[in-house]
Amino acid sequence: MALSRKIAYINLTTGEIRTETISKELRKQYIGGRGLDIYLLYRNTEKGVDPLGPGNAAIVSAGLLTGTLASASARTHVAAKSPLTGYVGSANIGGFFGPEMRLAGFDHLVITGKAEKPVYLYLTNDSIEIRPAEHLWGTDTRTVQQMIVDELGDDDVKTLCIGRAGENLVKYACIRTSIKNSAGRTGIGAVWGSKNLKAVAAKGTLDIKLHDPLMALEYNRKIIDQVTSAKVSKTMQKLGTPFIWGVTNSTGLVRTRNFQSNQLSDADDIEPESIEEDIVGTAGCFGCQVHCRGKYVIREGKYKGIYDEGPEYTSLGAFGAEVGCRSKTTVLTGNHLVNYYGLDNLETGSMMAWAMELFEKGILTREDTGGMDLTWGNDEAVIELIHKIANREGIGDILADAPLEAARRIGKDSLRYLVHVKGMSNLHSDERPTPALALNVAVSSRGSDHLRGRPAIDLYHLPEPFLRKVYSNPIPYDGPLTSDYRDYEGKPWQVLWQEHCYEAVDCLGICKYHTVFLGPNMPCFQEWPELIRVNTGLSFTPEEIWEVAERGYTLERLFNIREGLTRSEDTLSDRYFDEPVPEGLPVVRGRCIDREKFRLMLDEYYRLRGWDENGVPTPEKLKELGLDTI
Amino acid sequence: MSESGSNGVKDRTTGQFRCLYCFTRVKPPRGAETFTCENCGYAWRIWWFSPTEPRIRGPVWDQHEKLSREKMKKQGD
Repeated sequence: MALSRKIAYINLTTGEIRTETISKELRKQYIGGRGLDIYLLYRNTEKGVDPLGPGNAAIVSAGLLTGTLASASARTHVAAKSPLTGYVGSANIGGFFGPEMRLAGFDHLVITGKAEKPVYLYLTNDSIEIRPAEHLWGTDTRTVQQMIVDELGDDDVKTLCIGRAGENLVKYACIRTSIKNSAGRTGIGAVWGSKNLKAVAAKGTLDIKLHDPLMALEYNRKIIDQVTSAKVSKTMQKLGTPFIWGVTNSTGLVRTRNFQSNQLSDADDIEPESIEEDIVGTAGCFGCQVHCRGKYVIREGKYKGIYDEGPEYTSLGAFGAEVGCRSKTTVLTGNHLVNYYGLDNLETGSMMAWAMELFEKGILTREDTGGMDLTWGNDEAVIELIHKIANREGIGDILADAPLEAARRIGKDSLRYLVHVKGMSNLHSDERPTPALALNVAVSSRGSDHLRGRPAIDLYHLPEPFLRKVYSNPIPYDGPLTSDYRDYEGKPWQVLWQEHCYEAVDCLGICKYHTVFLGPNMPCFQEWPELIRVNTGLSFTPEEIWEVAERGYTLERLFNIREGLTRSEDTLSDRYFDEPVPEGLPVVRGRCIDREKFRLMLDEYYRLRGWDENGVPTPEKLKELGLDTI
Repeated sequence: MSESGSNGVKDRTTGQFRCLYCFTRVKPPRGAETFTCENCGYAWRIWWFSPTEPRIRGPVWDQHEKLSREKMKKQGD
């Protein structure tokens, strides 16, 4: 059965491995994936645990539907206490690893302790082996996967791994699989590095028996039609996630030069339509028909001829707008290097942009940078800086630390120019004209983030009745809603609703591009119960899935509170409030977030969540969700 | 009116895009590389992701900056 997979507890210090089954009750409470991850993280770490110490738990999880006939059910979730923020570490990855882990018999791995020497795990047909990895240490993310395939003599082995950035404990190192799939955020790669864990490989031949295979096929056909007929999917098939650039940069919603501006004009070379000219094909994850991942060859410069995949929208920001570069070659090369080293492209770009502004302000000098000229738009410096960060060389050693830690090391007035929430850098978008998106990054459980609650469809100017239809399902909502993305009314509910929507897909193991993220007509709470039933036999109502999402999100909040989070950190950098955006269309130009209105939005968000004025879930809410005894 | 998929989304918007300034739906001539919104005057560079489906690639930069300054000045007045 799809439900017969196990949780494995692996202690790398002692080598002890034990497994347990997942009760139906636990499934009903947390479903799987991200939901069960936070449950396992909360229970398997002590308050105040050192994120890079042996007491931290590195968790790997498949979603409930991962590897089934559900469309785009490729996702794997990873978790730990984050070395970047000190709060919930949580990231999601596509590719083919998750389905293979399930075929090998496992849904969740809870990895604790620290191996004496580098190791990797090999999962196959209900067994787990801890294998030496000294010969793999120091390799890039692509090489290590091939070496493991060669070593095991099986081309079908799928691997999650870290690159040199993870080994060097770069605080935003990520987990990788395939050429470019990445569990990018919150620095889980550094947690693996701290445990001397280079990789987890899987190959299985155990069947994932579905509850009703024929109905699963039939229902999935409906879902596929729903997804692929959407305009947003058709565009993504051509341009990948960078397609968003057309709207955001045209309007003035792109963060440039470390938030000093909000539009990169005359940057036609890095527009997705220009990058598309270099795309030689597209790739998709397990069970996906959209295939949003471009395949490209770098055509110019020092890295000419190198094949890679992507870039995602974030790489356009990280190696384009943020650092003031207008070269497609720089974007594609930067994207390649973060893939190679196993770095979060978003955090890398943000840290470089911050360093460039510090250089501009004279807070960092050539003496600090080892002679590097960190002037905006210096393509060579951007590429060199990525190497230095991954290898912790010179100024790169400071920038490889978490943003707040780096600010402490640099000192002077550097903290003032750091754009972050809870110690994690923001997406390369400018939310100053868009209160809903600003609230989303301020309250997200893993720090500044667009993938935990962004109401992206707020930008589409959808009619209010249509918005109401989306946002009143499955829980009725009769409060205000407005089509104007500059408004403050009704936005807290939109953020909360999206948080539950994204939490639910992360529990199920389905890609976010197959739900209401970028397309308002995508599958959502109404479709998921049948999808779950035909594949697993489990019965859920839309309201029950909503409750699971609320439970998971609330437990993430409890974890953060346990680690010291207070209301004061559910906020934005001063630039959001004090510096109006200088460019873009007149609908956004001159706008910034109003402090008082933001405070009221935050109050409303807490109230809707059943949290008190300090952002702490009330005893009544905890009891309602069954979290009062955890 | 035909349906574009089983999700019930009608294809009434095929061949159109929304102007990012005034949100009016506009329908450029097929294959056009630029188009000026008849409602607000903003000019857009267009990319066709299929022969019948256009999207905004970006602004016509010179025109945009000039027009935006004028509109902002007017708002200030």
